[in-house]
Amino acid sequence: MIGRVELAIVALVLIGIIVSSGAMYYASVTLGNVSTLKDQLTDLQNSLQSTLTGLETTLTVGTTDSVELTLDPAQAYDYFGWNIIQQIGETLVSVQPGSATGADFVGNLATGWNSSSDLKTWDFTLRSGVLFPDGTEFNATHVKYSFDRAIELIPQIPEGAPAGLGYGDIFDHTDVISKYTVRFVLKIPFSPLLGILSARSSTIVDPKYAPRNVQVNYTAGDARASTPVAFVGPYKLSEWIRVGGRDQEIKLDANPKYWNLAAGYPRIKHIIFKFYSDAAGLRLAISAGDVDMAFRHISPVDVLDLQTNPNVKVWFGTGAQIQYLCFQTKRAPFNDPRVRMAVAAALNRTDVTERVFLGLANPLYSIVPPGMLGHTEAFAKLGEANYTLTRSLLAQLGYNQGNPLKFDLWYESSGHYPQSEQQALLYKQALEASGVIAVTLKHADWASYKLNRDNEIMDAYVYGWYPDYVDPDDYAFLYWASWLHTNYANATQVAYYDQARATTNSTLRTELYGKIDGMAVEQCSVVPLWVSGAWAVTKPGVYSIFLDITQDMRYWLISK
Amino acid sequence: MGLRSYVITRIILTIPTLLLLLTAVFLVMRVLPGDPAALHFEKKGDPADVERLRQILGMDKPLWQQYINYIGGLVDIGYLRQHGYPNLGKSMYQTSEEVGGQVFSAFPATLELAIYATIIASVLGIMLGVASSKSYGKTPDHLIRNFGTITYAIPVFFLGLIFQLIFGVYLGWLPTGQRISNVAPPTTITGLYTIDSILQGNIIAFVESVRALLLPSLTLGIVLSGVFLRLTRANMLETLRLEFVTAARARGLQESTVTYGYALRNAFLPVLTMMGLQFAMLLGGAVLTETTFSWPGLGKYMVDRINFRDYTAIQGAVVMFGLFVTLVSLTVDVLCAYLDPRIRL
Repeated sequence: MIGRVELAIVALVLIGIIVSSGAMYYASVTLGNVSTLKDQLTDLQNSLQSTLTGLETTLTVGTTDSVELTLDPAQAYDYFGWNIIQQIGETLVSVQPGSATGADFVGNLATGWNSSSDLKTWDFTLRSGVLFPDGTEFNATHVKYSFDRAIELIPQIPEGAPAGLGYGDIFDHTDVISKYTVRFVLKIPFSPLLGILSARSSTIVDPKYAPRNVQVNYTAGDARASTPVAFVGPYKLSEWIRVGGRDQEIKLDANPKYWNLAAGYPRIKHIIFKFYSDAAGLRLAISAGDVDMAFRHISPVDVLDLQTNPNVKVWFGTGAQIQYLCFQTKRAPFNDPRVRMAVAAALNRTDVTERVFLGLANPLYSIVPPGMLGHTEAFAKLGEANYTLTRSLLAQLGYNQGNPLKFDLWYESSGHYPQSEQQALLYKQALEASGVIAVTLKHADWASYKLNRDNEIMDAYVYGWYPDYVDPDDYAFLYWASWLHTNYANATQVAYYDQARATTNSTLRTELYGKIDGMAVEQCSVVPLWVSGAWAVTKPGVYSIFLDITQDMRYWLISK
Repeated sequence: MGLRSYVITRIILTIPTLLLLLTAVFLVMRVLPGDPAALHFEKKGDPADVERLRQILGMDKPLWQQYINYIGGLVDIGYLRQHGYPNLGKSMYQTSEEVGGQVFSAFPATLELAIYATIIASVLGIMLGVASSKSYGKTPDHLIRNFGTITYAIPVFFLGLIFQLIFGVYLGWLPTGQRISNVAPPTTITGLYTIDSILQGNIIAFVESVRALLLPSLTLGIVLSGVFLRLTRANMLETLRLEFVTAARARGLQESTVTYGYALRNAFLPVLTMMGLQFAMLLGGAVLTETTFSWPGLGKYMVDRINFRDYTAIQGAVVMFGLFVTLVSLTVDVLCAYLDPRIRL
């Protein structure tokens, strides 16, 4: 028989079970809430983190480019050198990211500007409160020093960018008007000055690291001593390793004194550049995830293939690199503009852009690329593979099927220009399809090609151009450029060109460049062929890639 | 001739050898079309500016004077003491950089790749060669010989690409290129990342540098192993037929002792010579491998310099390559004499 004691024990056990169950339930609920709260806090933290735009992240960029020689704005004249300078330094103005025309300027170290009516005197109001890493405040004396130095070094560095952009012919002198006002006095009226000032050769230098009379070269183990650029840009150069004259690694770290920090830039704190030998190696690296981003150069066929890869994202944008065909006009057969026009009419640009570049380049009918002021479709007037025109022009000179026009078409064969041989084969095919032209293809590596150009031994040759600054002023002169050695000159075109430089009236400038193009079609000294596209490949979590007409890659805008 | 006299004589003979090599390269480079000065001007080049640059590069002087100036720089002992490498002149393309600095910055990458590739090629080739000789006429012998033929015939860049695709892209186990990934390179002591990271106790850098080294050294090693395989097999087949091997077996020695302790030791000398030759060739830079794996070595450096018409850089690289080959060749000869008493120097 169960006694009271036993009942009491059973009751206590049952109560104990109930209470402990309740306690455990309560604990689990409470802990669950805590866990949920913890999750919520974590989510909030992540959200804040992304809102703070990933300041702690690193972006690894793969490229086949390399700094050619220095990061000195008085010397550097290569794409990659300029790209690095742009990340670590600043110019007075720059082109608005995403600009379609390249003419939308925004102030960087300048907040405002105006010019005299004759466009020979330009005043810039400078941004106050911009600090160098040592706390020195940027002011007008730094601008004067930078430009005076760049111009003074031209005789010593004739192959540098200031020489190439004609600083010696454009700038007369620079004056400090006040602490935050600088004046440029020019030798000529020059409406594209903002374009020149946005070029990397106009980057402000730090006098402490920029000796007046000598270029600053790479110094192994000392990134600061390897460039005279003032570190007032979004990043500072933390590491630069070169092996065998080529870059092996470049590291940029966020500049804690960057003047635009309040806007949230740079979005990524560290950029590491990794250098690959060729496009195939770079493609493999981005496919394998070895780098977060691949920019310059991946071949068109790889780019299109990567579009189907779910592990990467392909970004497309506007290009401004062009190629054109030059004729040696000092001797037969191309001393006659009818012959040049006949060849130009027989070209099939679309065939090349579709079959060689797989649609990632576009036919070009003006020396000024699309989007820019002054672009026309002038050469479209001649048509594509317009053999009727070709035959009729050549017939006037006695050329026919039995007596075809014969000439050598040269192309560069060491990879300086993309897929040159494939292009040349298609040009030959198109020209010979007319039935009245016979083309012999010849090629040379870049060194020999330039020598041949200078020695004027090539009948017709393909050449390329990428912009120093985004303005038709940097393109239109190609029709008669003396260094192309085409021996073509046209005083009327030059006069139009100078007039376009001397006015800011965009309607008038457009008209003048249109006239230049119109005359170019009649003369065909240089025939535009195609304009490139631009592309970059990233991992899916990378955002804000701007590929605009400037060809600049602004790493400080990128987020991850 | 004693060993010491032999070594001294060989070292002395190196000088005229290198001089001949340098002279040949000096003349050949200047015969090539293309103007190093004009190459500096990417777009526009005023003739006066090009001529001024030619003066800076010393190209305005007569050929014989350029040659004498260059030789004079090479024997500058003070420069050698200061920089740790000979005065190979300034690069004609990157005029502010010393060629010696460029060559010696690229050399460690080439040396590291050459060392590990040679080790892999030797071990793989010798082991397979021995195995093939031991199973002469049987299926393993046929398979191994075919392996040797295939690896010898396969283009190194193709094999490299296959490895990159499999191990880099599809499996994601190894990086597809570069000397090191994910971490900063170790501080330079020897320039060999694997050695430097061990010396600094940097385990992570060591692991990453080994990971980066695996694919290129395997690629190069496998391609080269075919040579060692066939050479080892041929020598082993001959040696295994000799009477002393039969005698060793008759004395009851274990087969592994007979194979490796007796036969291979005697068959090894020609293989050692080949190892030296291959290693010396690799020191000049394995261009295709370096390009495939973006390995910053001497091979790629020399190809680039030819395109740039960088006369001094090419001269400098060729001179140093000649020196390396000579030293390696001398080392191999001495080793052979040491290993085989029958060889009299």
